[in-house]
Amino acid sequence: MNNTLKVERAKKDITQQDLAEEIGVSRQTINSIESGKYVPSTVLALKIARYFEVTVNDIFELDLED
Amino acid sequence: MKVDVDFPLLNRKWLLLGYAFIPLPFILIIGSFFTKIDVGDYILDLMSGCWAAGFLILNLTRQNAEDEMVQKIRLQAYQLGFFYLLLGLFVQVIFNFIVSFWGFSGVTISTFSVLFLLNFYIFIAFHFQKFNNSQSI
Repeated sequence: MNNTLKVERAKKDITQQDLAEEIGVSRQTINSIESGKYVPSTVLALKIARYFEVTVNDIFELDLED
Repeated sequence: MKVDVDFPLLNRKWLLLGYAFIPLPFILIIGSFFTKIDVGDYILDLMSGCWAAGFLILNLTRQNAEDEMVQKIRLQAYQLGFFYLLLGLFVQVIFNFIVSFWGFSGVTISTFSVLFLLNFYIFIAFHFQKFNNSQSI
């Protein structure tokens, strides 16, 4: 699964730590999501989308392997 | 991630006790030389028993941040740990069966060694995945 989390974070000019604190996870989890090593749950994906005021589809998209 | 069954985890202070169990068998063995107590018959059970307790405590201790990724990694670690335990025991049984043809008794499988191996595999799988996930591209 691909995501534009890093881009969205850059647009808002916030660090991984800031985002992690806002949505209640660890910085490592944000890092893992950005690097594509961890696919978040639906709840977490919705929390991230709500924080950036976009839809889940705007941040996450299926890749060819999915 | 919300789980239906609460998984009981220990406070972070227990980490110290968990790590203290790792060198304990060596300390006891060295101590037995000075006290002239013969632990020769129990040495394997002593080592695997201490390490089983140590790794069990380490596996059951809460992480700094208990979020959904840590919970998922923990579930995978228990799954992998159990799989490698079964695989290891199967290999050991086959090994014991083969060496029995030459009159050797093979490697003893004790409760302590099974508990140690299970907890050790879980510990390694958990920390390897945690380390792997923390690496950036």
